[in-house]
Amino acid sequence: MGLFRLIWLQVRVISALTLRETRMTFGTSHSGYLWAILQPLVSISFLVFLFYLIGRQAPYGASLALFFSTAILTLELHNKLSTSLMRAFTSNKSLLTYPMIRETDTLFARLILIACTFVMINCLLYGGLIVFGFADLPAHPEKMLLAFMVSCFLGLGIGTLNAILFQCNQSWQHVEKIFARPLFFLSGVFYIPSALPPEAIAVLKWNPILHLVEWTREGYYPHYESDVLSIAYPLSLAAVLTMIALFWERITRKKRV
Amino acid sequence: MITLDTVTKIYKIKDVKKVILDQVSFTFDDSLNIAIMGHNGAGKSTLMRMIAGIELPTSGLIERNEKVSWPLGFASGFNGLMTGVENVRFVARIYGEDTERVLASVQEFANLGRSIDLPISTYSSGMKARLAFGLSLAINFDCYLIDEITAVGDRRFKKKSEVELKGKILNARVIMISHAEKTIRDYCENGVLIYQGKLYFYDTIDELLNDYRKFC
Repeated sequence: MGLFRLIWLQVRVISALTLRETRMTFGTSHSGYLWAILQPLVSISFLVFLFYLIGRQAPYGASLALFFSTAILTLELHNKLSTSLMRAFTSNKSLLTYPMIRETDTLFARLILIACTFVMINCLLYGGLIVFGFADLPAHPEKMLLAFMVSCFLGLGIGTLNAILFQCNQSWQHVEKIFARPLFFLSGVFYIPSALPPEAIAVLKWNPILHLVEWTREGYYPHYESDVLSIAYPLSLAAVLTMIALFWERITRKKRV
Repeated sequence: MITLDTVTKIYKIKDVKKVILDQVSFTFDDSLNIAIMGHNGAGKSTLMRMIAGIELPTSGLIERNEKVSWPLGFASGFNGLMTGVENVRFVARIYGEDTERVLASVQEFANLGRSIDLPISTYSSGMKARLAFGLSLAINFDCYLIDEITAVGDRRFKKKSEVELKGKILNARVIMISHAEKTIRDYCENGVLIYQGKLYFYDTIDELLNDYRKFC
């Protein structure tokens, strides 16, 4: 098959799969997709509202809501990718009856769907904050976009690893869940990492999501400068993990039936 | 032409090792309708899945240069939560076919009526098989892989599928797994027997059935 035909085949397969994933995840009614956006939006808003009531001061800037949102959206994206990609192989077992569908296609389709959903959630949440006067327009949206893309990349690597481990041993789903809660506290959601004591920073800087959060903040706020942020770290981690994961997937494909 | 080049297939699950194929080299000529027979568990479905390209051999190479269908059998590649229409559209899309044409063709053949708008999980196994069969007929393959599915349906449906399939065979060919003598004689002129990890080719169905009765 010529190169052009192969690329066209790949595009066809991924787009068909993505459409199918959308249907499956959000049901057959249009309101299903609404929930995909509403649910994270509501839970984030609730957290923000809760802390607003408690009357805490925003660690940076005037708005607590904005400070939270910059972190939570990144964190939620990562968690969603991690858990959803973990089940990509097992949920789509029947699809592998068709010769042109490879296991990796199911991963990419889910990634595309989640990324698109989160673009919408980001726009709606920030848009809402801006409209109601809790935030100004982002200062460096290109930084936010880059941070988003690297988050997706990292999520792909981690999600694929989860998928392989889950298929080998179902107990992995419980291990994966254990990571989600500590991440909430370790990612700078309600504090400025640079302001912590050096002993704390030394440990926290190993969390790639912390970097992605700080990157997002540098993108939104005009003058936010993070001493902890190192763009190379999450990017290289994402690249290495994704490479290992895809390699591992290919090697064990025969045995993981 | 589908060529197997020193193909070995071994299943190893928890200390149980099963050799399905042992260094088999064979060519499925694209002008022949070939039957695959063997005793239960010999590896007929596995062989078919490898021919289709959805399972990899343990070692060796399988080459195909014709458009091969997915194995048509009772374990269908449908997603239970989605409706018949959605599943048909999905398969049409991945094969690059016009979704509306395929849908119309499937509706006419499988005769599911309003059920096609219901989730697949509500279908009987016969309905699923009819949908799968109709779907594969709507897409023009060079080689149809059939795994004992022609036996499904009432007399009228059997007649219709026979007519349709025979019409397709004029331009395509069939590789079929079946235990039923009549079905094999209806569609195939040649056959292979899977026995103890090896493939044996027969020029006539009579010879195939003789050996089948003797060894299986």
